[in-house]
Amino acid sequence: MTIKEKGYSHWDGEFIVKKFPWWPITRYGIKLTFMRKLFKFTLPMSLLPAVFFLTGIYISERLEDFPFLRGETSQFLQINPNYFKVYFTQGFMLFIMLMIVIFCGASLISDDLKHNSLQLYFSRPLKKKDYFLGKTAVIVFFLFIITLIPGLVFFIMKLVFSGSLKFFISYPWLPLSIIGYSFIVTGFFSFYALLLSSLSKNRRLVAILIFGIYMLSDIIYLIFRSEFRSHYFSLVSLRANLQQVGAHIFGQKTPYDIPWIFSFLVLLGICVFAGFVLKSKVKGVEVVK
Amino acid sequence: MKPIVETKNLSKWYGNVLGLSDVTLQIEPGITGILGPNGAGKSTFLKLITGQIKPNIGTVKIKGQKIWNNYRLFSIIGFCPEQDFFYEEITGWQFVTSLLKLHHFSESEVETRAQKALEIVELVEDKDRVIRSYSHGMRQRLKFAQAIAHDPEIIVLDEPLSGLDPLGRRKIIHLIKSYKGEGRTIIVSSHVLPEIEAMTKRIILIHQGKIFAQGDIHYIRDLIDTHPHIISIKCSNARQLASKFIQQDYVLKVHFSSSNDSLLIETNNRDKLFSLLPSLFIENKIEVDEITSPDDNLQAVFDYLVGK
Amino acid sequence: MNQKNTGRLSFFLDSVKNVYSIFLSMGRRAKKTKIFFLFSFLPVVIAFIIKFNQIFSGRGKIQGIYIFSNLIVVFYLQFLILILALFFGTSVASEETEGQTLIYLTTRPISKSAIVLGKYSAYTTLVILMMSVGVLLSFLILNVNNLGNFSLYKILLRDVVVLGLGLICYTAFFTFLGAFLKKSIIVGLVFSFGWENVIQYFPGSTQRFSIIHYLKSLLPAPRTGRFSFLMFRLEPSPTGTAIFMLFLITVIFLCLACILFSQKEYILED
Repeated sequence: MTIKEKGYSHWDGEFIVKKFPWWPITRYGIKLTFMRKLFKFTLPMSLLPAVFFLTGIYISERLEDFPFLRGETSQFLQINPNYFKVYFTQGFMLFIMLMIVIFCGASLISDDLKHNSLQLYFSRPLKKKDYFLGKTAVIVFFLFIITLIPGLVFFIMKLVFSGSLKFFISYPWLPLSIIGYSFIVTGFFSFYALLLSSLSKNRRLVAILIFGIYMLSDIIYLIFRSEFRSHYFSLVSLRANLQQVGAHIFGQKTPYDIPWIFSFLVLLGICVFAGFVLKSKVKGVEVVK
Repeated sequence: MKPIVETKNLSKWYGNVLGLSDVTLQIEPGITGILGPNGAGKSTFLKLITGQIKPNIGTVKIKGQKIWNNYRLFSIIGFCPEQDFFYEEITGWQFVTSLLKLHHFSESEVETRAQKALEIVELVEDKDRVIRSYSHGMRQRLKFAQAIAHDPEIIVLDEPLSGLDPLGRRKIIHLIKSYKGEGRTIIVSSHVLPEIEAMTKRIILIHQGKIFAQGDIHYIRDLIDTHPHIISIKCSNARQLASKFIQQDYVLKVHFSSSNDSLLIETNNRDKLFSLLPSLFIENKIEVDEITSPDDNLQAVFDYLVGK
Repeated sequence: MNQKNTGRLSFFLDSVKNVYSIFLSMGRRAKKTKIFFLFSFLPVVIAFIIKFNQIFSGRGKIQGIYIFSNLIVVFYLQFLILILALFFGTSVASEETEGQTLIYLTTRPISKSAIVLGKYSAYTTLVILMMSVGVLLSFLILNVNNLGNFSLYKILLRDVVVLGLGLICYTAFFTFLGAFLKKSIIVGLVFSFGWENVIQYFPGSTQRFSIIHYLKSLLPAPRTGRFSFLMFRLEPSPTGTAIFMLFLITVIFLCLACILFSQKEYILED
């Protein structure tokens, strides 16, 4: 059969690239997370530590009104970078972040793998970079609600309650620390969650892996520390690494007797590894062997 | 003939959404087609009669027994669901044999029946491949295999032809028709009228959760044939073409689009109009870009029948 | 009548057995099982590293069985069995509804209770096997220079039994949770690592509202030392009571799971 005429014509229209092609992915991810009934309860609960710390800042400026809080508690009520470090790096806060990450991050890629929707994403003018950015922004959005925003609010409220710029003059770098650590902790958790989310189509399995690996790293550290009595084993623990880096960023003594940069490199290494895995795992077409 | 499936005032809703409303009917042995547009309530009806969901109001009886939580009835029922979901990590063979084991057959009988079912759907060669590597058509046939493997008396098939190529479709239709001869009750749903037409004359029309009509397909066909059809033609010289059409007595109306490059023709004899088209185009040297029939779908038929 | 009942029971047990064999075989091959097997194999690696260090650094003062006992509490009792039971327990119902494969099981001539019990038994067998292999290998590695001491095997047996009981009980609880809630993992995690952890530090009868209390009651209190805080404030129940309570909890939650799974209408999303 002779084909006399080609059945297609070259498209000569203008290719319009949207400025933020990742935004619809983020918006949908955020909307989907908010649709979960349990999350509507969890998110306000996760802000309780922030409310508690904010109350501390208020009381610190009104100690004369709370005479019974003087004495032992007065140390707690000294608002300095350590106060911020405690908020950001305490184990409970990291645990809350982990739970938030499970809520909003576990299904981010695994659901796309399960429903074969990656090819739908990549059949649009969307690059892999945009896809990852869109997914990461979902986690970043929720983690910023409990890290960056409360941190900055604490700082501003401290200035407002004290009615002077003395605190800012004493610690002008503190806002940068808050921003820096918020980016590090959310960046790490985003890569960590997306890495695990890309490994399985089973959302429940991903949720357990996100939680399990975090806990496991801590358990292994505890066992080795008790056996080898070396602080270097804290590098195994995700929690310890986040605390170590956090302490340095807030200009405090690091909890483990090892250079903080090692912890930072471990976290960075995990993110780089996650990047490589994500790049190879997230494909428009899946070849089934 | 004694009805096999009986429903009485059957109603089901999901929150505020009505799935099925006040359905009372009886289904006798033979093939019964459940026809309706997407979202009409076909799947809800099939899930109710197979005991997958509980009715909010009304009752479902299979051979005189209530179906909800009456697992014993499933030794005579085979169900092919619409959804394309499987235990993806096992092979087709393991899938069929595993489900047959649940029918309490002996090991050898399980193998014989699985082999037979996979032969019927022509999946024997691929039986040892994991299901996740199956094509859509193969998955559809595998679903069919698990529904017939235990030789059930009642076979319920929810959209069994969706995703199949024309050859596969013909095979399944042939297979379903062959079961009819064995005195079984086959209930098959579809939103494609010709598909159901190829299998049975007995149909149930479901629309917006209600039984709209029940009986012989010829009745519906007659209604459809007298239904004025609209045909859209996008061409080089619409007005010249229109002048030819208005000379035909079966053309009721002709409309022009605002851009004058297409016309809508309303006719009460679609077949005659279609047979006229080629000669008209050639004789008048009209270049045609597109011919469509905007209302040639089940929804339009239903809209017409309900007088919208 | 009696014969009829016996017939029904044997039919039911046969159904459970069939479901059990299908899901044991399916579970064995599943990717998720391999991932969790890796998890449960980690203590073996830890034990190997510790032993290797002891041998080559010449610092072998701490007895292998002491480290083993700590590994049982820290790694297995407070972490691994919870994770295994949570995932596999909730899988009994959730994987069928999430994967929309429930329809294939509920259109068979078997009761829904048989599906629950069959799957529960299959997954419990899998997790017990996973845990036992890890425990056995860790034991052998840590006590490699003392394998002739038969009293140690008693400890091994006791620990395996306690962990096995834990898995049976927790998996039953999570089977119920999976049948009850659509999103059971988060609630399960909060229960496992929140409730079960916090309540054991409460004095009096409060700690009896946790499963871990009965499991810890079956283990000897550790000597004062590095890990003693894990048993802090434990007011143990007598062995008989603890075993009875674990079985009672298992039976109650399995019955509840069966009733719920039979009566609940699972609407699979299209």
